[in-house]
Amino acid sequence: MKIARARAVARKEVFHILRDPFTLALALLLPLMMVTIFGIAIEFNVQNIKIAVYDGDRTQASRKLIDALGSSRYFLIDRAATQYSAIERVDAERDRAALIIDPKFEYDLLSGRGAEAQLILDGSDNSTVGSIISYFGTMQNLASEKITGEMQRPEVDLVTRFLYNPELNSKWFVVPGLMVVVLAILSILLTSLTVAREWENGSMELLLSTPAEPIEIIIGKLFPYVVLGLGAIAFVYAIARLGFGVPFLGNHLVFLLGSGLFLATYLAQGLLISVAARTQQLSMQIAMMSGFLPSMLLSGFIFPIESMPPFFRILTMLLPARWFMSISRDVFLKGSDLNDLKIPFIALACICSLMVTIAVRRFKRDVEP
Amino acid sequence: MKIKINPTILGFIKKEFSQALRDPRMRMMLFAAPIMQMTLFGIALTSDVKNVRLSFQPRPNDTVLEHVVEHALASKWFISAHTTRMDPFEQVQSDEADVVIVPPPEGLTESIGRGQGRVQILVNASNVIKAQSVEAYIRSILDQVVANDFQRGITAPPIHFDMRILFNPSMETPVFMVPGVMSTLICLITILLTSMSISKEKETGTFEMLVSAPVKIWEIMLGKTLPYVMLGMSNIPLILAVAVFAFGVPMRGNLIILFIAAFFFICTTVAVGTLISVVTKTQQQSMMGGFLFLFPAIQLSGMMFPIENMPLGMKVLAYLNPITYFLEMLRNIMLKGGDSHVILSHLAVLALMAVILTTISYKKFHTTLS
Amino acid sequence: MSEPITVKVNHLTVQFGDFKAVNDVSFEVPAGQIFGFLGANGAGKTTTIRVLCGLLLPSQGEVKVAGISYHDPDGERRIKSKVGYMSQKFTLYNDLTVEENLLFTASLRKIPRPEFEKRKKELFDFISFHRDPKTMVKDLPGGMKQQVSLAASLLHDPDIVFLDEPTAGVTSAARARFWDLIRDLAKRGKTIFVTSHYMDEVEQCHRIALMRSGELIALDTPEGLKRTTFPNPLYELKPHQSISFSEVEAIRAEGSFEPYGLRYHVSATTPNLWQEFVKKYGKDFETKAISPTLEDVFIRLVEGKNR
Repeated sequence: MKIARARAVARKEVFHILRDPFTLALALLLPLMMVTIFGIAIEFNVQNIKIAVYDGDRTQASRKLIDALGSSRYFLIDRAATQYSAIERVDAERDRAALIIDPKFEYDLLSGRGAEAQLILDGSDNSTVGSIISYFGTMQNLASEKITGEMQRPEVDLVTRFLYNPELNSKWFVVPGLMVVVLAILSILLTSLTVAREWENGSMELLLSTPAEPIEIIIGKLFPYVVLGLGAIAFVYAIARLGFGVPFLGNHLVFLLGSGLFLATYLAQGLLISVAARTQQLSMQIAMMSGFLPSMLLSGFIFPIESMPPFFRILTMLLPARWFMSISRDVFLKGSDLNDLKIPFIALACICSLMVTIAVRRFKRDVEP
Repeated sequence: MKIKINPTILGFIKKEFSQALRDPRMRMMLFAAPIMQMTLFGIALTSDVKNVRLSFQPRPNDTVLEHVVEHALASKWFISAHTTRMDPFEQVQSDEADVVIVPPPEGLTESIGRGQGRVQILVNASNVIKAQSVEAYIRSILDQVVANDFQRGITAPPIHFDMRILFNPSMETPVFMVPGVMSTLICLITILLTSMSISKEKETGTFEMLVSAPVKIWEIMLGKTLPYVMLGMSNIPLILAVAVFAFGVPMRGNLIILFIAAFFFICTTVAVGTLISVVTKTQQQSMMGGFLFLFPAIQLSGMMFPIENMPLGMKVLAYLNPITYFLEMLRNIMLKGGDSHVILSHLAVLALMAVILTTISYKKFHTTLS
Repeated sequence: MSEPITVKVNHLTVQFGDFKAVNDVSFEVPAGQIFGFLGANGAGKTTTIRVLCGLLLPSQGEVKVAGISYHDPDGERRIKSKVGYMSQKFTLYNDLTVEENLLFTASLRKIPRPEFEKRKKELFDFISFHRDPKTMVKDLPGGMKQQVSLAASLLHDPDIVFLDEPTAGVTSAARARFWDLIRDLAKRGKTIFVTSHYMDEVEQCHRIALMRSGELIALDTPEGLKRTTFPNPLYELKPHQSISFSEVEAIRAEGSFEPYGLRYHVSATTPNLWQEFVKKYGKDFETKAISPTLEDVFIRLVEGKNR
C-alpha cells in the first residue's frame, strides 16, 4: 500500500469538502449549535409547573400549605374557583396537576387524625409526572413542618453524597452525551452521502480504474472526515468546558483516543452503508435508521441501558455510541483513566476494526469488475 | 361522475412511486424499518431506573443493614454489585457499583438504637435522573426497614397526598414513549425523502427536462410532494398497529381523527422538506438541511425533555415546532380520547405552518433556469 | 419558396450580472430547416437554445418561437408547449424503464392516453426501437439512450425541436442513424436546431450559425461559409524533413497558415502572393490543393482570431 496514493485521494476529498461551504459549515456548526442549544434547553429538574389549586378550606393551615408550594421554585399556583374547574384545567392541559383541599383540612390536621388533600396529575406526559410525584414527596414533610411547626425527624438521617455531579447539574449530564450523539450522526451521514454520491455520478468507477488499491481509496476518503470530526469534537469540547463549565477531570489523551476510535468506527459504517446502498437516498435512510435513531435512543444518552430488557442490553453492546458515551461521561465527570475504562475501550476497538474490515472487504468485493 | 385528476400530478405520483419502490431495499426502509424501529424503541426505552448496582460496606452484626440490602435486592430496582475493591469511592470510580451504602462505624442497628441513626450513601451522579431516583428508592427502603425492625409505626406525616394519575394510571413507559417514537419516525421519512427527491432532480439534470415542459409551478410542487404524503400516511396504520397491539398503548380516541391529525402533520413536514429542497442544490445539502431541522425538532418536541423547563427562547422554538403539536394531539387522542378544542387548535396551527411554508417554497421555485 | 418563419431572434442579449453570455444575436429560421449551432464551449450556444426553449428569460431583445413571444400573455408556457428539447445532460430517468419514462413525459405534457399509445408506436417505429419497453434506461446502450431521449422530446409532436449535443459519446454508426432520423423529421416540416462538435454532422445542416464569445460571427449554408471564409484556393502543405519547425513558424508569421495536425492549410490573399510563396518555399513542402472543410472554417473563424 502506498501512502502517496492514499494522500492523493485524501487531497481530492478535501477539495470536495472545501468547495461545498454549505456542507462544511453545517458539519462544523451543527454540532456546535446543537450542543449549545440543548445544553441550555435541557433541564430535568422541573420548575414552574403550573398547578391548579382549589382551596375548599380557606384556613390558616390550607393557606400555609399553598404558600409552601408556591414559594418553591417548582410550582406556579393557578387558583381555581371550584373543585371541578381545577380538575378541568388538568383535563384541558392548561395545568399539569390539580390540588384539591377539602373543607375539613385544618380540622383533621389539628385533631391529629392526619389531613388529606387530593392531588390529580396529568399522566400523559412522562417528562413531568415522575418529578411532580417526587417533589410532592419532599413537600409533604416541608409543608407539615411549616403548618404544625413540628419538625419531622426521620429515624435515620440519610446523607447522600452525589459523586461527580454534586449539584445534580443537568448540563453536566447532558452535554458530554450530546456530543457523542451529534458526532455519531454527523459522521455516518457525511460519509454515507459523499461516497454514495460518487457511486451515483460514476466518479467512483473512475477512481477505481486508477492503480489505487481499495484500501488506499478508503483511507484517503475517510481521513479528511476524521480530521473534520476531530475538529468538531474540539469545538464542542470548548463549549462544554467554557460555556457550560462542565468539569474535565480525566486525561485528554485518553479522550482523544476514544474520540478517534469512535469517529473511525462511524465513518467506516458510513462507508459500508454507501457501498451497500449506492444511492444517496437509500444511504440516507439506512444511516438514519442504523445511525441516528440508535445513537440517540439506545446509547444510554437519556434512557439508561441498565433499565432495558436483557436482550437490548446485549444489543447495545454493538453500538459504538454506547461505549463512547460511557468513555465521554466518565472521562469528563469521573476522571476515569484507561484502566477504569478498559472494557469500553476494548469494545470500541473491536467494533472499530470489525467495521473497518467489513467495509474494506465489501468495498473490494463490490468493486472487482 | 368521473373525477378528472390532473394528469401531470398523476404522472408524477406514478413516477415517484416507481422510483422509490423499485429498489427492494428502499421498500424495506420505508415499511419494515419503521415497524422494527417502533418495536425496538418501544421495548427498549424506559426512563424507569432498574438494575442499579448496589454495594455496601459491611459491618459486623448489623441486622438493619442486612435487611436494607436484602430488601433492596428483592425489589426490582437494585442488583448486587460485583466488587473487587474495598474502598467505596474506588468502587464507584471503577464503575463496579452505582451506589454504595456506607453505614457508621458502629453499624446501623446500633446507631439507630442510640437515637443517632445516620447512614451515608455514595451515588454516581453522572446520570442526574438516575441519581435522584436511587436516592428516593433508598430513602423509602430505609424507612420501611426501620419501621419493621424497630416495631415503630412509621410516623405518618400529618399531611398525606392522595394521588390520582389521569390517563396513564400505571405510568407505563411505552405509553409515554411510543407516541413520541411515532412522531419521530414519520417526520424523519417525510422530510428527508421529500427534500432529497427534488434535489436529486436538480443534481442529475432531469430538473431541466421537467421545466422544459409547460408545467405550472404548483403542478411540479404537488407532483413531488403528494407521493411522499401518501407514503407517510401509509406508514401510519403500520406504526399504530405496533403501538396498540404490541405495546398495549390505549387508543381511546377516534381513528379517523387520528388519521386527519396525521395528515395535517405530514403535510406540514412535507412542506418543510419542500422548502429545504428549494433552497439547496444537492442531495447532500438537502440532507444536511433536513437534519438541521430534525435534530432540534425532535429534542424540542416535549418527547424527551419537558418544555416547561426550557428557557423562553427555546420554548418559543418548541412552539414553532410541528412535532410538538402532533405529539400533543397524538397523546391526547390516544390517551384521553381526543378533546375537540385541543385538536382543532393544533390542527389550525399545523395548517397555518403548512400554508406559510408552501407559499414561501412556491415563491422561490423557478420554472426557468435563471 | 417561402416557408413560414418559425424562429425569430432579434438583438437577443442574455446577461448574468456583468457577463454577457449572448450578445446582440439576431437570426431567423424557417420551417423544415436543420439549423446548426457551432462554436467553442462557453460561446453561448446552450444559453441561446435555452432561451428559445422557454427556459431562460432574455435580458434584452425579442424572441419569437412559433409566433409566440415571451412578452405575450403566458408566453413562457406557450413556447414550451410548442417545442421539444433534448438537453446536453441526460433527460431520461436512469432508474425508470423506457415505457415509464415516456409515460411520465406524456403526463407532463398532458397527452391523453389513446393519443400517447399511438405516438409511442409511431416513435418506436421511427427510431426502430424493437426492444422490450420495460427495459431500464440504465441498461440501454448509449446510442439507444439518445434515440429514446429524442423520442421523448418528440412525444407531443412539436413543430420545433432543439437538440443540444444529441450525439455526444455515441458510436459513429449510431450517429449516422441519428442523423437519418433528423433529416426525416426535417422533411416532415419540422424545424430542427442542433448543436454539435462533430464537423461531419454539422455539414448536414441546411444552415449554420457560428458563435464566439456570445456573438454571432457567421451565418450561412455550409457551402456559403466555406466560400466566404476561403475565397482563395486552399492548399495543404506537408513539411519535408529539410525544413525545421522553427523555420516554419517563422514563415507562418508572414501569412495565414493554419496548422492542421502535422500539416498546414494555407490560403493566400492574392494569387500573386501565392506564386511568391511557392517560389520561396515550394521545395520545403509537399503541396496539394484541397477544398475547404467546415473544420477549416471553424479554425479560421473561431480559433484563428485568438492567435
